[in-house]
Amino acid sequence: MLPAIHALNIILPFLYLATFGIYVYDFMNEKAAFSNAKRVFLFVTLLLHVFYLLARTIEFNHPPITNKFEIFTVLAFAIGFSYFLLELLTDVRGTGLFIILFSVLFQIVSSLFIEDLIEVKEILRNRLLGMHVISALLGYSGITISAVYGLLFLILYKEIKLSKFGLIFNRLPSLETLERLSFISLLIGFILLTISITIGIIWLPSAFPNFSYLDPKLLSTGVVWIIYGAGIVTKLSARWYGKKVIMFSLVGFTLAMLSLMLSNIIAESFHSFT
Amino acid sequence: MNLIGISLNHNTAPIEIREALHLSKNEIVELIPKLKEEVYLEGFVLSTCNRTEIFGIPKEPGIDYKDVIGALLEFKPVKGISPDNFLMYFSCGAVKHIFSVATGIDSLIIGDSQILGQVREAFDISEDMDFAGPMLRRLFDNTLKVGKRAIRETLIGEGAVTVSYAAIQVVEKIFANIDRKSALVIGAGETGELAAIHLRDKGVEKISITNRTLARAEELAAKIHSDITPYEYFKEHLHNFDIVISATSSPDFIIDKKDIQAMMKKRRGTPVVLMDIAIPRDIDPEAAKIDNVFYHDIDSLKVIVDQNLNKRKKEIPAVEKIVKDEMVALFSWYNTLDVVPAIRSVRDFFEEIKDDELKKIKHKVTEEDYAKLEDMSRRLIGRLLHNPTIKLKELAESGTDFQKVISYTMILKDLYNLEKIEEDSHKKTA
Repeated sequence: MLPAIHALNIILPFLYLATFGIYVYDFMNEKAAFSNAKRVFLFVTLLLHVFYLLARTIEFNHPPITNKFEIFTVLAFAIGFSYFLLELLTDVRGTGLFIILFSVLFQIVSSLFIEDLIEVKEILRNRLLGMHVISALLGYSGITISAVYGLLFLILYKEIKLSKFGLIFNRLPSLETLERLSFISLLIGFILLTISITIGIIWLPSAFPNFSYLDPKLLSTGVVWIIYGAGIVTKLSARWYGKKVIMFSLVGFTLAMLSLMLSNIIAESFHSFT
Repeated sequence: MNLIGISLNHNTAPIEIREALHLSKNEIVELIPKLKEEVYLEGFVLSTCNRTEIFGIPKEPGIDYKDVIGALLEFKPVKGISPDNFLMYFSCGAVKHIFSVATGIDSLIIGDSQILGQVREAFDISEDMDFAGPMLRRLFDNTLKVGKRAIRETLIGEGAVTVSYAAIQVVEKIFANIDRKSALVIGAGETGELAAIHLRDKGVEKISITNRTLARAEELAAKIHSDITPYEYFKEHLHNFDIVISATSSPDFIIDKKDIQAMMKKRRGTPVVLMDIAIPRDIDPEAAKIDNVFYHDIDSLKVIVDQNLNKRKKEIPAVEKIVKDEMVALFSWYNTLDVVPAIRSVRDFFEEIKDDELKKIKHKVTEEDYAKLEDMSRRLIGRLLHNPTIKLKELAESGTDFQKVISYTMILKDLYNLEKIEEDSHKKTA
């Protein structure tokens, strides 16, 4: 299976690049010639990616979450897969390039530096840890996609306000649609983060003797969760619309990324496996 | 193809002349018998606000454009009109022009969506008036095909090309489900009416009309099945509408920034679209600075119209390619019309040989034997010519390979020297 893993490791970035290329071509051309073909291309790429992830898990006897380059390939898949689901659910096909770009970047970095790790800490072979990390990654993919749609919303909002009726105006879906996409992906991201946090809280104390509820990563994730939760409740109860919701999503995303980075870089934590 | 015709349109005549020459449906129905009597065997008359066109197959060889113009102007005299206001077309040029008209590339607004329907109506009138023969019927079919292909295969009809439709296009970029929104149209004039019709066509759930003169508001509301908001109170109801389109002739602003601020307060900041398509403007442009207020005036909407017109212009070569393709198809079909006379000539040629040979032996055999020989030679010719005749006819009728039909016909004529025989026979008759 190793040759197949190595081959896919090389092929996957090219497949994501090709998919991204088709989405860009379709976005730039009004005739939308690849409207259906691009979806099939993304599906095939994701299918091969699933095979690659499963093959790695079986071959190396641990889920591919033991270092950042393994996590990057899972992240590339999670973003691509989340977008694919969103496109299927909403049938909004014109925004893929802005999302798939993240998959391309993560997969390229992963493919360049990933190693065949057979010897890893025993804790990293735990299934609950796998679920905890994968749901967290999918959750972060959700809020990342939400932020991308938020950004697209702001760009289109500005273009319409300034009466600039160019490519962005012609090719993006309506502001209401972008807002809806942003909110749906945020909601999905939030639910997955909740699942990840729940698994973590139940499992971590039994897995780590030095576990602490005051762990910086735990605290920062908790803060992000509370901010998003409060935002979602406010949006639904106070009926927030348009720019206000989008600004909230973008601020939430910035805070989430900042807190993630700070807790990883500055603080010492049991929550590190490398 | 002996098709001749005339065209008076926006390129050749000012609007006063175009309007004066415009023929209503009833007038076309009255004109057709005159054309049948004096000029054409079969044909059609197309008349819209921007063009009047008459095309057909002449009754006899001497008839030309002047006779068509003469018949038209005799029926509807127009002061100040001259032959220079008409374009004249013949055969290939006539077909190309008719196809171009049907695709909208010859229209004042390129890609005009109404023209194909108008062409179809003109053809239908001809059909009803027994003015459409096999030639014209085939031309009608191809013309409609060209028009449909242009719409389906190119972007010639895409995008808004009127300010009121451009306004709707912008609204659709803001709201996902326009059919669930409510709209207020201020002003029941021509522009307001067009905007209201576009909103209704897009399925906007609730449309209300307000106008200084109540009767006109009522008239438009009845036309598009909408509500009326009394003009005196419309500002108090502004917050109830997601889309406000204003098209009055008021010299001053009728909605100022304070009105919009008050409206947004009542709407709790939910987005609203304000389309000011009046000249001078009706809504204070300062409103654009308020969050979630999408204000557009006629200048900004014209940007969309110009962009779309440019896009349509870029599609003209693609449409012209379709026109060319269909012209080739039509003329290929036309060329196969030669098949039937060719088959008849071959049969005559064989019959003539049979008669000659029978004549030679008539007095050398008994009457009974002669009858047998005559019957045998008749059956012999029938069997010999059966396959080529059937195959050629089938090939021509299927219309799949015109080139093959033409080559077969030419080979047949060449091998039996039929053209010379036909010429000699014409000379003898003369």
